[in-house]
This record gives sequence, C-alpha cells and structure tokens, in this order.
Amino acid sequence: MAEQVLMPKLGATMEKGTILDWMKNEGDRVEKGEPILEIMTDKINLEVEATTSGILLKRLFDVDTEVAVLEPIAYIGEEGEEFGDLRNKRTEDLKEEIVPVVAGTVPSTGTEIETDFNVINKPRKTPAANKLAKDNGINLRQIKGTGPNNRIHAKDVELFINSKQRVSPLASKLANDQNIDLANIKGTGANGKIVTKDIVKNSPILQNQTIQYAGMRKVIGERMVQSVTTVPHVTLTSEVEMTAAIELRTKLLDKISKVTGYRLSYTEIFIKAVAQALKAHKMVNASLNGNTIELHSEVNIGLAVAVPNGLVVPVIRNADTLGLSALTEENKRIVKLARENKLSPENFAGGTFTISNLGMYAVDAFTPIINQPQSAILGIGRIREKVVSNNGSFAARQFVTLSLSFDHRVIDGAPAAEFLTELKNLLENPYELMV
Amino acid sequence: MKIYDLVVVGGGPGGYIAAEHAAKHGLSVALVENQFLGGTCLNTGCIPSKTLLRHSEFLDLLEKAKQWGIEAGNVTLSFEKMMQRKNSVVENLRKGVEFLLKSTNVNIYNGLATVHSDYRVTIDSKNTQSEVYGEKIIIATGSKPFIPPVKGVEQIKAHTSDTIFDLNYIPKSIVIVGGGIIAVEFACIFSSLNVDVTIIEMGERLIATEDEDASKLMTKELKKKGITIHISAKVVEASEIDSEKALTVELANSEKMTVSAEEVLFASGRKPNLTGINKLGLTMNEPFIAVNKQMETSFPNVYAVGDVIGGWQLAHVASSEGIVAAANTAGIHKEIDYKVVPRCIYTYPEIASVGLSEKEAKERGYSYRCETLQLRANGKTLAMDESSGFIKLIADDRYDEILGAVMVGPHVTEMISEVSTAIFLEGTVDELASLIHPHPTVSEGIWEVARTWLEKKKSFIHH
Repeated sequence: MAEQVLMPKLGATMEKGTILDWMKNEGDRVEKGEPILEIMTDKINLEVEATTSGILLKRLFDVDTEVAVLEPIAYIGEEGEEFGDLRNKRTEDLKEEIVPVVAGTVPSTGTEIETDFNVINKPRKTPAANKLAKDNGINLRQIKGTGPNNRIHAKDVELFINSKQRVSPLASKLANDQNIDLANIKGTGANGKIVTKDIVKNSPILQNQTIQYAGMRKVIGERMVQSVTTVPHVTLTSEVEMTAAIELRTKLLDKISKVTGYRLSYTEIFIKAVAQALKAHKMVNASLNGNTIELHSEVNIGLAVAVPNGLVVPVIRNADTLGLSALTEENKRIVKLARENKLSPENFAGGTFTISNLGMYAVDAFTPIINQPQSAILGIGRIREKVVSNNGSFAARQFVTLSLSFDHRVIDGAPAAEFLTELKNLLENPYELMV
Repeated sequence: MKIYDLVVVGGGPGGYIAAEHAAKHGLSVALVENQFLGGTCLNTGCIPSKTLLRHSEFLDLLEKAKQWGIEAGNVTLSFEKMMQRKNSVVENLRKGVEFLLKSTNVNIYNGLATVHSDYRVTIDSKNTQSEVYGEKIIIATGSKPFIPPVKGVEQIKAHTSDTIFDLNYIPKSIVIVGGGIIAVEFACIFSSLNVDVTIIEMGERLIATEDEDASKLMTKELKKKGITIHISAKVVEASEIDSEKALTVELANSEKMTVSAEEVLFASGRKPNLTGINKLGLTMNEPFIAVNKQMETSFPNVYAVGDVIGGWQLAHVASSEGIVAAANTAGIHKEIDYKVVPRCIYTYPEIASVGLSEKEAKERGYSYRCETLQLRANGKTLAMDESSGFIKLIADDRYDEILGAVMVGPHVTEMISEVSTAIFLEGTVDELASLIHPHPTVSEGIWEVARTWLEKKKSFIHH
C-alpha cells in the first residue's frame, strides 16, 4: 500500500506549514531519507524526507500552499499503486509520533548568540545521514553538507566514507574527542595517513599553544566587546550572611534528594531568591530595545555554564514560579545538557537576567559583563567564613559576596541598590522566600 | 689518505646497518672493525646464545616428552658438535654482513680505530697503520661486559659473555653473577646440559627491567629446572678452593656464604666501549656518549649509535639508531622514536614485551588498565603442554590506546610483533579485539585479552 508523507508537526504551537519547493516530480524514484520537498513554518525552513523508498506517486499540493500539520502532502509507493482511498484518512494516532524532519534554519531572534552556538555545535543533517554516520562511526563534523544551508545528506556521508582520509584508529578517536575536522589536517604518516601527532599539532588544547579565535570563542568575544562598549556598566557589591541559607539547605537536602534524586545546591537557592527579587524590581528584569525599555513579565534566568573552550547560558524559564525541588531538577537538567553539548535553541531562548556563579573557585567578588539585551547580571563568589562581632564578643559566620552589574542606561543606582538589598534580605532571611 | 663522506667506527648491528643505509643514500662509506663484523650480537651475543638455546629447548622437550609417552632412550651429547654448529651459524651470518656491505660499496677496514678531532681516523691492525678521513663520523663502538671490582676476581679466570662461547667442555657446575637477560638465558642453556647452575643477583628480583609478574614467573620456572637463585646477594670475594672457583657472597642479612663451581660467568651488565674516541672530548651522559634525537654528539658531524650511547642496549635499537644517524649524515632529517621497542628474552618459556610497562604507564599519568590472560586457558598452549605463561595488555581508558604488552610463554618473542604493529599503526584495543585471529593459536590470546579489556570498560561505564 502506498505510504503517506505528512506535513510535519514541529512543536506544540505549529498548526500549519507552507510548501516552498518540490524537489521531486511525480513518477520520480525516491530513496528513504531523501529530501522530497521543502516547507516553511513561521519559525523555520526545512526539508521533508521520504519515509520509504519507492516512486513519488502524487504531490497533493502546489508550491506556496499552506497545509495543516499531519495532513498528507504526498504518496510514495510502487508504480501504479492505489492511494486515493487514503487521502482523507487523517492519521490521528500519528499526532504524537515524531515525524521525521531535518534540522532547519532558525531565523535570528533576540537570542542570536544561542542560535549561533547551536549552528556551531550541531551540523545540519538528514536523519538518514545521521543514521549512516552513526552506523559507520563517523563524526558528522568531519563532513561538508551539499544540501541547502550545507545540510548533510546521506550521499555526503557515503561520499565521505568512500573518499575517507586515511587516518589511524587512535588519531580518529583523538580527533573525535577534540572535535577536530580531519578535512583540514595534512597527514604525515605513510602515504599521507593522519597519525596522532598530526592531530596534536592541530589541537591547541592538546598542544597547549595557540587557540583559534573562531567558532564559539569568537561569538563569545564579539558579544562581550559589544556589551562592554555599548553598555555603561556599574557593579555594586554586597556581603551577605549565609548562615540561615546554609541551615535551610541542610534541612532541605534530604527532602529534595528524596523527591528529585538530586542534591540541592546553593545555586538553586540563589536562583530562587533572585527570581523572587526580580518579581518585585521590574526595572532589573528589563531590556532596552531601541527607544523602548521592555519590562519583562516573565522571569527567565540564564545560568552561565562553562563548557570546553567556552561558555553557554541556558535559561530556566519562569524561575519565579518554580519551587526549590523543581528548580533543582531543572538546573541539573540544563547544566547536564550544556556539558554534553546537547542544548537546543529553546534552552537558550528568552533569558531576562543572568547569574554567573564562581563560588566553586577562590573568588570573592568580580565585575560580570551583562548578557545583552538583558540589563543586569549577578556574580556570585565563594561562601567563606569570617569573624564578626556579636554582642561584644566574636563569632564565626559564613558570608558570600554578590556582585550586581547593571546597565546604567536602563537602571539607576538607587533601584539597582534596592534590588540588591532585597536579594540580601531574602538570602539572610530565607523564610521570606515562602512569601 | 682516502677521503670518505662517512666513516663508521664499529661493525655491529648499529654500525653496519648505518654504513649500509648511508651508502644507499649515496654516500661514500668506510667501516672500521677491530674484530669481527656483526659485533657483539652476531659473535658473542644474540646469535650464538640463540643457537645454544635451541639445543636446550630440544633437550627440555625430550625430557618433557617422557610424560607424553615418548622415550628416546639414552641421550648422548656432543658439546663439540654443538659448538661447531654455533660457529657455523655465526660464520654464515658474518659472511652475510660482509656480502651486504660489499654489495653496497662500503669499504671495510680491519683494525682498531682512533678518531681525531680533524676527522682523521687512524686504523691500527697487527703490522700496519692506515688512515682515512671522514666528512662525517658515526661512532658505533658498542659495549664490553662489566666485571665488578671484586677482590681476587683476576685470579679465578672468570668468564664473561665474550669468552663463554669458546668453552670446550660442559662444566659440572657454574655460578652466574647477575640476574639480567644474559644471565637467565645462560642459566637455561647450562641447566639443560645438566650443569648445576647458581644465580647470584644483587637486586631484589631477576630481570629487573621487565614486568614484575614476568620476573616472578621466570624465577619459578628457573627453580623448577633445579637452578639455585640467590637474590639481594652481593659477591664480595673470589678465590680458588680445591681447583673449584669460589665466590664469597654477602646476603641481605649481612651473613656470608661461599658458592663454588667449576666455572664462573659474570653477566653483571655492560659498559660502553670508548676506546679510540677520547680525543674528541665528547659530552657524556655518564658513562655513555650523549646524543640528541638525530644521534648527533656534542662534536659537530660526529654521531653515535648503539650500546655506546646506553639506553636499551639492544641490537634492533642500535640498528634503528644507525638508520636515523645514516639519514642525518646524508642530509635527511630523521629523529629516533623509542615508542615501539620490543624486548625479548629467549628462555624457556620466553618473555617478550613492548611499549610501556605498567609502572611507566603509572608514572606518565595515564588512566590505564591492565588485563591479563593466563595461558592455561589457551587451547594451543595446553595442546603443546606449554601452558605456563600469560599475556598482559596495558591500555589507556580514554582512547583505548595500547600502551604496552608483556607476554610470557611459547612463541611470544614472535607474537610480540603483533602488538608492536598495532601500536606503531596507532591501532587501539578495538582493533586488536575485532581482528580475526587463527584458532587454535597462542596469539589468539591477544585477541581474548583485548576483548576482556573492552568488556570491563563497558561494564564500568554502565555501573
């Protein structure tokens, strides 16, 4: 029986897609995994692939037609096979199924930096190409795609396999681990075979010499320069006594561990306090866009996470609505995704404030750079013990220094100081987090 | 005075290979040898000892075959014939080296060379003195057995590996001073000839340069043959008692004892042969000549290779160094790489190793794991009745890089090259584990140990 090709559903909000281009004519032979048409949603352009091999029997819509999601748009089957009777049979049961689609072009939004990371980290590829590469143990980064937007197709992978550079197994593993593109490496082994020392020569990390100012490194650099040169930064610091917050964490540690399986960390307590303080200080949760200052209704907190050769800022959305258990879970989840290089664009989108926690290092205070277009960023130092006077005697107490950098175009000193004072209050009296 | 592009001093496996390669690079080459072509290796080392070890292997097999139901009756030995065979093997190979050098147009000079700082090399033979000039010079003068300065040692006519091959009778008993490679090989040779063998080793274990497990197994096997082993024992005096040679030995607990035997063999290390090169004032790497990776000494255009520079002191390493030196003398930049140096001991069972030892892997900070397969689990060794031994694989967890291997058992000196090949071609444990090995063979143990290594890695990840 002929098989339907459906308009893919790419997300909860997608209702329809527009056919941009047919890549195959009726009667053409198509292979499973081969792109047969290109569609566009309000967010993305992408290719739809043949779900089976056979003859493209029927194209149901012309170019520029809008089609509802999960509606059949084409049939693939054997020569002369019947398909008409399938036409109106909506496949309700397919709704939840993941429709095979290829990665698309994400148009630039306010979260440009994040999409850039995404492009750097994940080559566009078709599922068939992905499978073929996986089966052959090939890193897709090594392949140049010939499809639209350099998308990697199965045939690119095949070509790569056939013309594969001779590389020693050890060098291959090393290159994979270091994300080094073998295409740019000249082998010095027998007959040009790439050997370990060729990889080492091309890996600044392995060699400890120079690092290419490119890719993620360059994106971070440009973003930092842009922020520092356009935003008048002011940094306020405040010392916060952590005795009560430490007590709170100790009391909740087991409970949260039982619920979530994770250990509650100070980061989550800071996120909770920041989210609550932002709710009351909308000017700090704002963005300057041209001639307007947008006060965000959502509190979406970005967390600076160190990754090899760079840093990413995944976002915990609506952090003010999450309890400590949910925050713990969410924080651990996105940090894990970040470390495994598995963040997707939605993990980066919509941040309204950023936290940079260097508390695991011997750092007390610093001057963080604002993650544009946000207006403020909080730097957290280590928790350390200090001797303080206590009713005429001495006592040892735990302190942390908070460093708040803000955009003086958007926020003035007083409101920023008010926010920081409230944050200090919340952390020193964490029961107020319940309010 | 004849002028050459290159003069090589010494005709051992470092020197003659260097001469051959330099000549093939188009250089005019002279080689000076004071004794016999082939050096220690061919004349008083690897080759004669392997010839005699072949006899021992056969005698051991005859003995073992009795348990299989094969009796050959009274075995008689002709030591004279055995030594004749050894001599003919040596002569045969010596001719081979001579032929090789002549066919590559290397001029051979006989005599003792003295290298001068103006690149003249004077050659003294019995009645004549000649002189050649080398634009470049490779020193490959090798090494000599070292006899420790023990009181009375000059009086007892002790043997070293230089003289032991000229023995014309089978002694009743022999004391071997030293527990290194040469010592254990000679222990096997003599033990099979029913000689009463005693080993006196200063260190805490035999074959100290090798893997500790291999050393333990070797000690056990030697004892099984009836060899007496004293470790942590130091020879302090030598004398002659009742026409026997007697050594006074100080044990670890400071107690002294006397070990006497018909013959004494010193196999207590080798020292560099620095004869004829003192005029150059070379920088030393005590007590050896210091060289860089291109085998250059501190004296311009003078290179050194082989035992005289220390290091592994193995024939095949000397040859590799010779090839590197020859290339550099011909203007082709080449550097020595000691990553893949196989080491073989031809005892019974054999020992072979390559790459890093477990200890070195640890010292260099690898996150390594060792996996060992005992050969009693191997079908072929059981069929052969040679199942004493093991295969140990040392590999790094990060990229499954093969760091080294140690093997004890039959044929392992041949088998080690499989692991050498894998390391040289940068194969990983995956390749060793997926390569089809013939069954039944001893070498399939390599496959098995590689698989176990990987399986343990996988189970480690899952838990």
